[in-house]
Amino acid sequence: MLQKPESGALPIPQAEGQDGGRDGETQALTASQEEAPSPLLQESSREDLGAGREEGAAEPALTPKGARTLAAKALARRRAYRRLDRAVAELVQFLLVKDKKKSPITRSEMVKYVIGDLKDLFPEIIARAAEHLRYVFGFELKQLGRKHHTYILINKLKPLEEEEEEDLGGDDPRLGLLIMILGLIYMKGNSARETQVWEMLRRLGMRPSKYHFLFGYPKRLILEDFVQQRYLNYRQVPHTNPPECEFSWGPRSNLEISKMKVLGFVAKLHKKEPHHWPVQYREALADEADRARAKARAEASMRARARANQRAGIHPW
Amino acid sequence: MEEGRAERRRRTEAPSCTQGGARRAGIMTDVHRRFLQLLMTHGVLEERGVRRLQKHCYRVHGRTTAVEELEDFINNINSVLESLYIEIKKGATEDDGRPVYALVNLATTPVSKMASDFAENELDLFRKALELIIDSETGFASSTNILNLVDQLKGKKMRKKEAEQVLQKFVQNKWLIEKEGEFTLHSRAILEMEQYIRETYPDAVKTCNICHSLLIQGQSCETCGIRMHLPCVAKYFQSAPEPRCPHCNDYWPHEIPEVFNPDKEREAGTSKANKKPSRSRQH
Repeated sequence: MLQKPESGALPIPQAEGQDGGRDGETQALTASQEEAPSPLLQESSREDLGAGREEGAAEPALTPKGARTLAAKALARRRAYRRLDRAVAELVQFLLVKDKKKSPITRSEMVKYVIGDLKDLFPEIIARAAEHLRYVFGFELKQLGRKHHTYILINKLKPLEEEEEEDLGGDDPRLGLLIMILGLIYMKGNSARETQVWEMLRRLGMRPSKYHFLFGYPKRLILEDFVQQRYLNYRQVPHTNPPECEFSWGPRSNLEISKMKVLGFVAKLHKKEPHHWPVQYREALADEADRARAKARAEASMRARARANQRAGIHPW
Repeated sequence: MEEGRAERRRRTEAPSCTQGGARRAGIMTDVHRRFLQLLMTHGVLEERGVRRLQKHCYRVHGRTTAVEELEDFINNINSVLESLYIEIKKGATEDDGRPVYALVNLATTPVSKMASDFAENELDLFRKALELIIDSETGFASSTNILNLVDQLKGKKMRKKEAEQVLQKFVQNKWLIEKEGEFTLHSRAILEMEQYIRETYPDAVKTCNICHSLLIQGQSCETCGIRMHLPCVAKYFQSAPEPRCPHCNDYWPHEIPEVFNPDKEREAGTSKANKKPSRSRQH
């Protein structure tokens, strides 16, 4: 329905770059770091304006019948694009609203509530939505793992310094608690037993099922909310009797914060420098290098795609 | 020759980022993005808060850039939002005319923003309350009347006690306002749902004779029945010695409120705390 071979088919910017050093868990859908909107966003308006004029195609004879057919085709094409634009707009809103709760969004949810019978165009719709989210709101749409069709939004705006942070209430103390747990997990070699986590929190005056004025019920926050939001992984340790469970970093934590940052937090807490813990420090450095490499790869592939678009005659303007 | 003309047309028509529009869309920077993100978090924000928010965003992301005039700043962002069928809409609180802003959907179904926060029966409770509010003379629906409809709700069965808490949730999330046991729409709901309300309740909906927007609370002429928002009344009769109905010219029988003055607010210090509870049961 929407193939436009003459003017060049719409390229879908799926970044295929592998995160080599990392465990290949996540994939960025759009990796552009530029300010300007990508060619994607221009495509529809250009088509609308150029409707009826195909680049380089043979002109049908301008008989009355020919003109009517041309007009009908142009109208159908405009309608189709409008429908597509609407689906993209609704998907953007859907993602923003769902992400507010921090729960990952599945592809089937998106199809059920927004895409509907445009299901075949899902890749194009989600690519455009991702581009809007990046350009307009500063969010990046990330897929959690190549196999799972679940997505989350990451804030790409630079994190606020303490004095810059506007007090929005609600979220902040919880994330502080999360970072403490992430710190414990990291310092214990990337996994911590549940008992160790509760021990740490007990020292802070928290009990699992005792209501806390800032965090609510800690047990629910940590075992349910943080796990469901993919900040923490929680699993049973095999061959333990009585069965024990352990925490590790969830995929969202890997995306929203880094080992180096968490190490920095732990260091500050103990009034020491990060390299006071050489093993963790080396690991954090390696992690930073991996992230830089992955970012460079993603940027390069985005630039390559932009060049390819140019050559194919798809201009942003 | 045809091709050349087409080429030229494309070049002159095309520097727009919006769909099919000849208007050039604005450019988004991190200043604008942060503004949008924070505005979304608040849901609805008074003009004073919006200005503070704007300054905050410049401080964080654009220290070297001059702070744009708020109206232009918002129009700039709206031109980019157009292709997403959303906009930053400006309205005013119905009771005292404070300017407020919210990010609203122009296209999708109305309760969609609420849909993620509330269960099916809760959304239906809101719809029932909404209907009562719109049908009412005063723009308020009593808690009792709303709770009596609890048996008719779609979805899981809800008890009255539970429904009371759900109504409080609506108040906390800025969808409803409560005054002395009665509920009316928060300015957020009015901004977000005006279109939906007009389309869904075309016969019951009331509009203001002055600004022609949706009217929930206001004053009405006892002779001819036209209605006006309180802030619209204030502005219209501002320096009139003898207020008369703009439609039938009969004497306007209600107390004329004062025009909202942001500067006076700041002088007074704690503004809201000292104000009398303004109730517009003046129908």
